[in-house]
Amino acid sequence: MATSDGSTIIGESILISGSLNGDEDLTVRGRVEGTLTLTKTLLVEPTGIVKAEVQVRNCVIAGAVVGNVTASESVEITNQGRMVGDITAPRVIIVDGASFRGRIDMGEVDVDAARESRGAARAAPARPALRAAPRPAAAPAARAEARKAEEPAAPAKPPAPPAPVAMGAVKRKVIVKRK
Amino acid sequence: MAGIEKVPAPRAGAHTVIGSSIVIDGEISGDEDLVIQGTVKGRIGLRESLYVESSGVIEADIETANVEVSGQVTGNIVASDKVELKADCKVVGDIRAPRILIADGAQFKGNVDMDVKELKGK
Repeated sequence: MATSDGSTIIGESILISGSLNGDEDLTVRGRVEGTLTLTKTLLVEPTGIVKAEVQVRNCVIAGAVVGNVTASESVEITNQGRMVGDITAPRVIIVDGASFRGRIDMGEVDVDAARESRGAARAAPARPALRAAPRPAAAPAARAEARKAEEPAAPAKPPAPPAPVAMGAVKRKVIVKRK
Repeated sequence: MAGIEKVPAPRAGAHTVIGSSIVIDGEISGDEDLVIQGTVKGRIGLRESLYVESSGVIEADIETANVEVSGQVTGNIVASDKVELKADCKVVGDIRAPRILIADGAQFKGNVDMDVKELKGK
């Protein structure tokens, strides 16, 4: 008897509560509560509701998911998808129209490396203004000196930033605030 | 989606399929046909038909309208309409239903109760 093998479908009126494990694609049109562990793709259709700790390879959310999702490859929330919970996956796609609340962890985001490469290219000229604005501290002069000391250390700035102008701007800002 | 069209005619009403590599530990309930090719432990409560295919393994109490077993079931079965044990199935547990069919080749151990008129009357 031939059946649609290799894919599991949870129909609209079905509620599964407990744990669900498997090595094949799963389409959820009904409700699943508890824990859900797959080695393949979970597809939550618009009518589907998943309230579970989800561990899968890929996850496509067009319905509702409440709970944490851990994917070894990707998580995608489509424009109909709603999700509350934390996502852990190297690739996370959230399209326009999707609703999501929670944290996202894409793993090894090497912030230091990113800052260095970006700092050399782009951020350097903007740096003085960016730094000073949020904290108009008590000793602008000291800060300016500190910055002066810092700046030569910054690696390879091709267009030397207009430092004096920027510092002037900073000083003016601080003074205005004090008044 | 594509999966539905692949389901053959006898299963046309079945929108829910638990595939052969799936293991569910818990409770399944619903109002539609359910085809089980994988493993389910816990409890199954449906208002429609349950099909346990030859690769299906169930360790659960079952309460549905119809049950068709080609695989393995360990647990009690209560059906409001019919229970059918097909050839090559293995069933251990009690069965209660107004109509019970056991095919040649089916293995079954347990009690059978077809006198469920009082249950229906409730």
